Parts: sequence; C-alpha cells; structure tokens
Amino acid sequence: MATVAERVIAVTAQVLKVTPEEVKAEHSFTTDLGAESVQSIELVAMFEEEFGIEMDEDAALAVETVGGAVEFIANVCKEQGVDVEQ
Amino acid sequence: MSKAVKRHPLVDAKRPNLLEDTFPYTLPPLIRLEGPAIEYIDGEPVEFDFSAVEDRDIVITDTTFRDGQQSRPPYTIDQMVHIYDLLSRISGPNGVVRQTEFFLYTKNDRETLDKCRELGHTYPECTGWIRAVKGDFRLVKEANLQETGMLTSCSDYHIFHKLKFRSRKECMDSYCEVVDAAFEAGVRPRCHLEDVTRADIEGFVLPFVDRLMEMSRQVPDELAAKVRLCDTMGFGISYPGAQLPRSIPKLIYKLNQECGVPSSRLEWHGHNDFHKVHVNGATAWLYGCDAVNTTVFGFGERTGNPPLEAAIFEYIALKGDLCGIDTMGITELANYMRSIGLPIPDNFPFAGRAFNTTRAGIHAGGLRQDERIYNIFDTEKLLGRPPRVAITDKSGADGVAHWVNEFFGLKGDDRINKIKVHKLARWVIDQYDVEGRLTAISDQELEEKAKEFFPDLWQKHKGGP
Repeated sequence: MATVAERVIAVTAQVLKVTPEEVKAEHSFTTDLGAESVQSIELVAMFEEEFGIEMDEDAALAVETVGGAVEFIANVCKEQGVDVEQ
Repeated sequence: MSKAVKRHPLVDAKRPNLLEDTFPYTLPPLIRLEGPAIEYIDGEPVEFDFSAVEDRDIVITDTTFRDGQQSRPPYTIDQMVHIYDLLSRISGPNGVVRQTEFFLYTKNDRETLDKCRELGHTYPECTGWIRAVKGDFRLVKEANLQETGMLTSCSDYHIFHKLKFRSRKECMDSYCEVVDAAFEAGVRPRCHLEDVTRADIEGFVLPFVDRLMEMSRQVPDELAAKVRLCDTMGFGISYPGAQLPRSIPKLIYKLNQECGVPSSRLEWHGHNDFHKVHVNGATAWLYGCDAVNTTVFGFGERTGNPPLEAAIFEYIALKGDLCGIDTMGITELANYMRSIGLPIPDNFPFAGRAFNTTRAGIHAGGLRQDERIYNIFDTEKLLGRPPRVAITDKSGADGVAHWVNEFFGLKGDDRINKIKVHKLARWVIDQYDVEGRLTAISDQELEEKAKEFFPDLWQKHKGGP
C-alpha cells in the first residue's frame, strides 16, 4: 500500500498536471507548483476522496506545502480512524 | 510637512464593535443626527434642528399617475388601480405615503379615480391636478376631491416665455384669481411653484406666497393653500452655502419662516437631471418641508422624480422604525412594473434584479462568512430578496458556493462549503479559460449544472429529477 506522502504526491500531480517527480515535500502548492485558486479547492476535494476523510475547509486551505499536506492529512486520518501507511 | 494637532490612540478590542445601534441590520442603517446645522441666510447664521424630524409628521406623497405617467405611454385603468392598491399596502395604516394625485381630464382619468377610491383605502388620499384655469375646478368638484394641485409657474422663463404674461403682476393676479376660485369651490389649492429653483425669489416667489398666505388666512384651515416647490429642471442644491434660487435650505427657510407657510403645507417636488433627486428630497424634509413628492422607481418626466422606495427607506432610517410600512410591497410593485413592460435597471437600488448581487469572488467570500459584510440590511426580511452572487470568471469558488446554497435554500449547518462545489467551480472557470466565454453565466445554465453535480440536493430540495 502506498504511503500518505506517495498518495499526496500522486493526487497533486494529477490535479496540477505535473509529473510526480516534479513534486517535492518542500514545494509550495501555489508559488512552486502554480496552483490557482480553483485548483486549491480541487486538491482538497481530491485528497478527501483519495483518503475517505472530511477536512475542515479553512484549515485545509491554509496548508501551504506538500509536506504540510502530508502531515495534515495523516493527522486527520488518525482523528477520523482511517488506516493509512505512514 | 503638516503637523498633527490631535493624537488618536488605538482602542484595542478582542471582540468586534459592529455599531449595531446605527446598523441594526433588521432595519436600514439609521440616520443619527446631531445638530444644529447652520446656514447663513441674508448674512446671518440660522440654526436648523434636524433631529426634530423624528417627531415631525413628515410624509411621502406620490405623483406616479401624473408626472410619472408623463414619461411613458398611459397606464390602463386596471394597471393604475393595481399600483394604487400596492401603494396603499406600502403606505401602511399611518399613511406614510399620504397622497397621490390624478389627472381629471378624460373619462378614463375619472374612472380610474373612482375605481381606486372604491378600494376603500384611507391612504394614499386621492388629490387632483389641473391647469391654473378657473373652469377646471368644476372637474375637481365633480370628482368630489378635497384638494388639487394647480400650476403656478414662477420663473420668468415660464411667466414671460411660456405663459406670455406681459408682467409679473398680471401673472400673479391671474394665479390668485384661480386660487380664489378654488376657495369658492371649497377645494384646497396646492400651488405648484414650477421652476422655483430658477426663479426670482425675492422679486416674485416670496411676494406671491405672501399673498397666498394672506388669502389663506381668510378661509378655514382645511382650505388654506399648500405650496409645492417644484425643482422642475433639477437645479436644486442641498448643501449649505449655496445661493438662491438654487439653495434648498434657503428656499424652505424663506417660505417657512418669512412667509409663514407651515411645514405641513410645504412639499418638495424634484427632478433628477443632475443626479441629485433623492438627496434633495431628503434635504427638504430636514430643513422644514413635511412632504416629499415621489414616483415609484423614479419614473417621471425626462430623468425622473425622487424614487418612492428610496424615500421609504430614508423615512425608516430617519424615524428609526418601520412605522407600519410594508416594505415587501416594494418588491411586489417592482415585479408588477416589470410584468407590464416598465424596465427597471438591474442595478437600481432596492428594486433592480441585481441590486444586492455581487460579482466579485472576494465579496462572495465575505457574504458566505457573514452576509452583513456585503449586504446593506436584511434584504430578505424587508424585501424578500436575499443577497446573491452572479457567476463570472471573477466569482471564485466562494461565489459558486454562495449561489448553490441560495439556490437550494440551504441554511445553517446544511450549507455546503466551497470544497463541495469544486466540480461546478471548475466548469465555471473552464467556460472562460477554455471556451473563451465573455458573458456572465445565467441562472438557467447554473441550474442545469446544479442538477448534474448535486443530484442528492436536487432530489431533496427541487422535488425530484
């Protein structure tokens, strides 16, 4: 089973139309990967779908980097009892 | 470099101060007055106590069927009766919309008046409008009206160039003969000082009004002449310091305090040629004129008259209370006027289709968090019109989420966030970025997409597939 980080990178690459290799943990979704406003919304929606979780809208949209998203999603999964590979 | 003369320390707060005494939201923002206002008249300072307006019997009068009708093809009798019925509903039991005036010249005019009166409403009271011709009082008497407006034009443009009088005295004598005829007929004359903001105030207007007041002292109070100040070309100026004849404060002061026309017999009638029409009317109220003459949605000769609905909200803001007014009638009246082919501009305050619609995503974001941020007052409660967003490329997911919540009527915890509308937000963006669209997206288009993207909500709130 893929790790949280691998799954976050895969979703990010798909939504932002880049290759997984171009996505690094320290990358900012907006300044480095070029996410526009609606793509930020799509990213959150796709993360929810991928992990089967519900995220707080404001908190999720406040996450700036890929690594931050991995950490945030792992915590939400834990809170909501969703098993994931670390 | 300029030197600061007073320091203003920050008053830190952990809780917002929303100034709800002035912005109660359940009412339009209140107009809180502190005085006195000072106007220099004939070189002397004169104080005006604006706050007295709270206790004065200020009223709105209506000329939708007279001036309002001069700007368009005639209404049918049924249309006028329906409009009158709605005016009465808006007016409420206290008669805030106190009077409306009717032509009396044709069979249709008279039939309309009869049918309006058959409705049995106390307000608005029906009055007439005639030329300054003695014979026309027969029409007023036959219609059993207590009051009629009559043209008493007072600028030299009208006296000499339009009416062709040979002198001001001949003109004044002629007007006074007609006023006498009104008294004899037992009808209260309401003298319309046409073009007063372009008249010689000291040379004609004040002497004429002096004479009117002298004549009025010879008749019972209920017949005493009223005076309507007609800003025929929209030349009136509201702010202090303006000179006569354009100064509204000075005009009202002279008639009220020098000629002795009581406030209850003074009325302001404006035109919007310089975009000043509503403020000029409100100014007239403050300076001592009890009645402001209006038309629904400002329909009137050329650029129109003070919009009645604007005067309604000004009235509520000044009084701090609805005073029995049914503001929902304004929306019904707007819908009715549109249905009979009278266009109201989309951005027209209180009544246009888009008066409380935002197109900016950042405003939509504010609306979604707390509608008070970008809505003037509780427009749903007072007008049946919740704030809306129009969807364009600038709307953002916030705008789309607001539209979806309003469309499905979702309240409180049922409202969905912008994450849940991402498919519709993407479709909107692609309309512009991919399809090259240049127009706003209509509600019909959005409804189709809402049905596609939110089948569960559609099933629950729109009654099936």
